[in-house]
Amino acid sequence: MSAQASNSLTRWLRDPNPASRRQARLGQAWMGWLRMRRNPLAMIGLSITVLLLLVAAFAPWLAPHDPITQSLPNRLMPPLSPGHLMGTDDFGRDILSRIIYGSRITLTIIVLFTLTAPVFGLLVGTVAGYFGGWTDEILMRITDIFLAFPKLILALALVSVLGPGFQNAVLAIAITSWSPYARVARAETLTVRNSDYIASIRLQGASSLRIILGHVIPMCLPSVIIRATLDMAGVILIAAGLGFLGLGVQPPMPEWGQMISAGRKYLFEQWWVATMPGLAIFVVSLGFNLLGDGLRDVLDPRSAGK
Amino acid sequence: MTLLSVKNLRVSFDTEAGLVEAVRGVSFSLGRERLGIVGESGSGKTMTGRSVLRLIRPPGRIEAEEMRFDGIDLMRASEKEMRALRGTRIAMVMQDPKYSLNPVMRVGAQLMEGLRQRDGMGKAEARAKAIAALAAVQIRDPERVMEAYPHELSGGMGQRVMIAMMLIPDPDLLIADEPTSALDVTVQAEVLSILDGLVRDRGMGLIFISHDLRLVARFCDRVLVMFKGRVVEELAAKDLMQAKHPYTQGLLNCLPRIGGPREPLPGLDRTAEWAN
Amino acid sequence: MALIEIDDLSVTFHAKGREVRAVQNVSLSVGAQESYGLVGESGSGKSTILRAICGLAPVSGGTIRIGGQPIDSPRGAAFSRQVQMVFQDPYASLHPRHTIDRTLSEPLAIHGIADADARVKRALSDVGLPPGFRFRFPHQLSGGQRQRVAIARALMLEPSILLLDEPTSALDASVQAETLNLLNRLRAERGLTFLMVSHDLAVIDHMCDRVLVMQHGRAVEELERAALATAEMKTDYARSLFAASADRMLEG
Repeated sequence: MSAQASNSLTRWLRDPNPASRRQARLGQAWMGWLRMRRNPLAMIGLSITVLLLLVAAFAPWLAPHDPITQSLPNRLMPPLSPGHLMGTDDFGRDILSRIIYGSRITLTIIVLFTLTAPVFGLLVGTVAGYFGGWTDEILMRITDIFLAFPKLILALALVSVLGPGFQNAVLAIAITSWSPYARVARAETLTVRNSDYIASIRLQGASSLRIILGHVIPMCLPSVIIRATLDMAGVILIAAGLGFLGLGVQPPMPEWGQMISAGRKYLFEQWWVATMPGLAIFVVSLGFNLLGDGLRDVLDPRSAGK
Repeated sequence: MTLLSVKNLRVSFDTEAGLVEAVRGVSFSLGRERLGIVGESGSGKTMTGRSVLRLIRPPGRIEAEEMRFDGIDLMRASEKEMRALRGTRIAMVMQDPKYSLNPVMRVGAQLMEGLRQRDGMGKAEARAKAIAALAAVQIRDPERVMEAYPHELSGGMGQRVMIAMMLIPDPDLLIADEPTSALDVTVQAEVLSILDGLVRDRGMGLIFISHDLRLVARFCDRVLVMFKGRVVEELAAKDLMQAKHPYTQGLLNCLPRIGGPREPLPGLDRTAEWAN
Repeated sequence: MALIEIDDLSVTFHAKGREVRAVQNVSLSVGAQESYGLVGESGSGKSTILRAICGLAPVSGGTIRIGGQPIDSPRGAAFSRQVQMVFQDPYASLHPRHTIDRTLSEPLAIHGIADADARVKRALSDVGLPPGFRFRFPHQLSGGQRQRVAIARALMLEPSILLLDEPTSALDASVQAETLNLLNRLRAERGLTFLMVSHDLAVIDHMCDRVLVMQHGRAVEELERAALATAEMKTDYARSLFAASADRMLEG
């Protein structure tokens, strides 16, 4: 793209009088991007997240070996051995390849989780906050019950009932973690509920459903999105924990938590078997945390004011 | 004698949308008198007031050829020197007392805090001085107000407490930024007359920042009229009705008057040559 | 016949076991196409009356009739098409994440009114905003421009009554003048009835034919415009409000 074309594109994005909805949206996004770019930590977080996406997408091309095929003569080779950058595990599988393929599972867990817990929590919280009174009492007491259980224990109990497996693990995690979203969304709704713009749309005759979906939820979204990105680290860890306990993804699927669990036996002599997937979890969790922090600044309507 | 002199003050903000100049070359000097700065929102009047205390956060930037307070070069002073000036020699009263008082601390404790820490006063002495300060702003039962939390005070009362707090260290210069805009009209008049009396008695310099031309005219000796970061007119308050600049005239004429004519109010022509 | 009739209205808020009687036994009536003012200081209950009409404040006694009919509770679609309100703070009354286009077309969508595109364009030009503002967000607008949007929104459903809650007190003087002129023009063009709240007697005097002075939730005195101009108040409170009014200051 020539410099001139990029200049005119920037001008188009910054145009204070956008000609269409699309231009207005893109302009907003552009300004958010500029704000984000000022925050180096957020950019690191974003890069890690993008990297995770790329690695998951191109896993078959990136991985030097098959993640499942065993090769017992090559078992427990240390990092930097020829052909095995991160070494091999107790079945002689290349750890790097398993981490690369494992990113797909991690990503699937994240996507499934994002589509369930925050969405459900958001609905419960906004409905409770908007209607108040008895609706609020009942919904919030249910939320409290879910909040009162330690997450991992409840997830364990659920997986024991539902049976081990990938989908069940994610479902269990979602059921145990929607309640904080409901709390966040309710708190946000309470501040918005009495604002003049909600009074005004009520005065226009809008139904409660329309107000909640179209007017209240957009105001709660930033906090929920931020909360979700901050939760990602925890979700990966719980999934890893379930995997570690043998209740999540089943072997020989390359799941990071499972890999740590398997490497535990060799922790003192062959440290890399558990450490490498541990590092992967650490980096991805850190990435989501940093991204969440950066998003807070970008999405906060107060900072978007000027 | 000149207490404060400001030459060619500029305040700019580097934002995503480009460089925004909030103040574009403002110069004035102030003795022990009452100077009003009037303008509409975005005229840079608040930024001018805050610049004197260097209270502009990044990405805001202050530049000036000269900004001197009682012999001290405010542009070169270290942050430590500025802290020593703020509150003690130059005080500031803001628009809404709700946001300036600590909501979880009793009024008395807030008033005494500075006296005890800065001046190392004993408890009894600080208390006596705080009560005297409250009495000076015509609070009838200062003992009760000392024990109150800010939310228990009305707006007018809160603003009096703010003024009392600012005046305890006997500053040489008081910057009042819309000190009465959040108050009801009848309360507004009272607070202004208290402020006026205190400034006169103590011979302080006062910068009174307001959007209300009529208020400033009644209350100050001299008026700077600001528009888009520039001073468009400087005149003695008593000559305000004879203002020459079209912007000042426009500001005066656009206000409705009780018993005035029912025709459309004259608007401001912002497209004229001076408006750039 | 009076278009708005308020008879012996009381509004009581219950908060933390305390009762706050915001409005006590206030009666007033506003004729069709009349402009009626409510004036008072903060806590006088003037805004609460407007909110009570809209169903945004709990009525504890008395009746409100519009066009002779007691109003339904909750307020229905017919009410929305008859009565609309402009709020005091244009920074708080527009949804910060909706474009002006969305804000203005929302009432049309709710009431299933077709032809939204043309109506939004017309509404913008009616309140003197350029068409380029249509897809802007509120934070890209100045206070005066936002208040114009709020006025446009209130008129989208073509109501006959406009409740104005301090519509200019958050605006600069010159912008206030433009906004008041706009309101007067719209009233003349569309035969609107105004019920306007303000703390500024001069603004009320400029806009209204009659004014009710309020204090501590009670009606103090009703004045005709002519009586206001010649300072013929009967009560001390109304007189002190008149004396403290900002535009007396230059004479004072």
